[in-house]
Amino acid sequence: MLRYAVRRLSFLPIILFAVSILTFCLLRVLPTEDIADVIGGSNATDQQKEAYRERYGLRDPIFPISVHASMPVVTVQRHSQYSDWLLRALRGDFGQTFTSGKSVRSEFVRGFPASFEIVFLSLVFSVIFGITFGVLSAMYRNSILDYAVRIFAVLGTSIPEFFLLSLLIIIPSYLWRYSMPVGGYVSLLEDPLTNLRLFVPAAFVIGIGGSSGLMRLVRTTMLEVLRSDYVRTASAKGLRQRSVIVSHALKNAGTPIMTAVGTAFIAVFGGSVIAEKILSINGNGLFFFVSTQSRDLPVIQFLAVYTAGVVVLINLLVDLSYAWIDPRVKYS
Amino acid sequence: MATIAEGKGIAATDSWELPENRPFFSRWARTARDNPVGAVAFAVVIVFVVLGIFGSSFAPYNPREQSVPDKFLGPGAGHIFGTTKFGQDVFSRILDGARIDLKFGAIVLVLGFLPGAALGVISGYSGRWLDYLIQRSAEAWTAFPQLFLLLTFIAAFGPGLRTVELVVGIGALFGGSRLLRAVALVERHKEYVAAARSTGATEVRILYRHVLPNIMPFILVGLSSVFAIAVLLEATLSFLGLGVSPGTPSWGADLNTGVQTGGDKYPWLVIFPGIAISLVVLAFNLMGDTLRDILDPRLRGSTGPRK
Repeated sequence: MLRYAVRRLSFLPIILFAVSILTFCLLRVLPTEDIADVIGGSNATDQQKEAYRERYGLRDPIFPISVHASMPVVTVQRHSQYSDWLLRALRGDFGQTFTSGKSVRSEFVRGFPASFEIVFLSLVFSVIFGITFGVLSAMYRNSILDYAVRIFAVLGTSIPEFFLLSLLIIIPSYLWRYSMPVGGYVSLLEDPLTNLRLFVPAAFVIGIGGSSGLMRLVRTTMLEVLRSDYVRTASAKGLRQRSVIVSHALKNAGTPIMTAVGTAFIAVFGGSVIAEKILSINGNGLFFFVSTQSRDLPVIQFLAVYTAGVVVLINLLVDLSYAWIDPRVKYS
Repeated sequence: MATIAEGKGIAATDSWELPENRPFFSRWARTARDNPVGAVAFAVVIVFVVLGIFGSSFAPYNPREQSVPDKFLGPGAGHIFGTTKFGQDVFSRILDGARIDLKFGAIVLVLGFLPGAALGVISGYSGRWLDYLIQRSAEAWTAFPQLFLLLTFIAAFGPGLRTVELVVGIGALFGGSRLLRAVALVERHKEYVAAARSTGATEVRILYRHVLPNIMPFILVGLSSVFAIAVLLEATLSFLGLGVSPGTPSWGADLNTGVQTGGDKYPWLVIFPGIAISLVVLAFNLMGDTLRDILDPRLRGSTGPRK
């Protein structure tokens, strides 16, 4: 299994390399506008634009290898926007943002704890809520609880997250004049109470909203498993219901559930942009959003590669968890 | 040469319609009675489509007209959903907001989903390298959070509905190809295909005359999930200020304006647009679920929209 993990991880650099080339094409080749115009805005003077071109190396070709229709067919340049970016990125330097000139890496590191906390807490709520109610609704099929869970599951996929989060801010304020400590980010260690007062309700709303897919899947998988022979045998030999459900049924439903947990993670991860925007949390989601608005290409370039890395790692973890849950799954 | 095996008789056994030869309307009434939730959802969808076409003519006020003395009126007799900061009628803006979503959904459907569906049928039916290429690209595309893809494309091409249409359209292309590929894979092993083949029909003819009519209903399933996703994403992007141009009546943008202009004092500015989005997305989701249950219980739960 270790060998399998190492082999899968060895693909990671290749995937990141491909993603970096694709995003470079998307951000720098396809758009027809002059990037210097994008940085400077409409009222930049020609002189300023020249300075931008000089500073960000925009006069270099985008890729080091260019292909022509006439001789010489292939030419290689020493400097190009992509190769310069790549060589620096390999040393951990992802350049400066266009808007503030600060290092992309230090901005990312600053925003990371807040994003991590919101994604982690939301996922925890999502998983607890999704699995608990999915199992209960399968156990008590066609009961009132089951109907409630099923209605909830449809509502959860239909009500947008930004609506729920807006209500979370507005309703307590309208009814009880209670306002959440919105804005900025106070670390958990510095001031735990203020931190949790903001993050717990927010993560609760995001988590519950995101749990509907998981809940649906847990319910259908459990219904299938509960019908199987080994579950009937386990109850017949007099095991307590709790141990039948937890160690016989739930464990055998484990692999599809882990897949859904992976999907839930991707959903929560994507949703962090909206959450951070509405609650003004200074995390990487807000960083992504603000950079999109100002079309800050170095930031987007880095965050795209980072997102690809996260997605690949999560998929790897999900695959490895199969072997951990189900001894029949063997990787070599 | 048309033979008996190629006629309607055999194809109809796999068909989704009710077997009786009842009159058109009573068949519909019966389907509606068996699926009351689906029927209500379908009615909401019809209302949405009608509003999308004629919305502003039903509106009691001009949705863009500003009237400063009437600002921030609560829901009441004159304005049933209240008024905005500029005294615009919230109810009229919601009626008119259906238009942008209907147009958006239609564009995504025609330029993304339908070509994707065609590709899916061809790749599922004839397979090989085309199938491999489409499936791997679809997997790569759907692995990323949709919102991140949208933001990356917006950073490249600038904000606006055009960019959002492009990205959501690509998503629908892959979604359509996936759904119809799954259907075509099942369909190509059915007896009527073998029967048609045994009469000497060419593959193109089988695909066009036999497979296509049988998978048509699944286009409707895809249509409802395309609209559910389209309405949700248009609202999200307009909420973030990256979709419609400022001032255009759009549920997502209006909700955002509501939050910005003091939603904690005037909650109707937030609640009504939010309910409009949720209701329409819910209706499309439920309509899709119902259609899928009627068509093919085996596909239950396999193609639900992802957030």
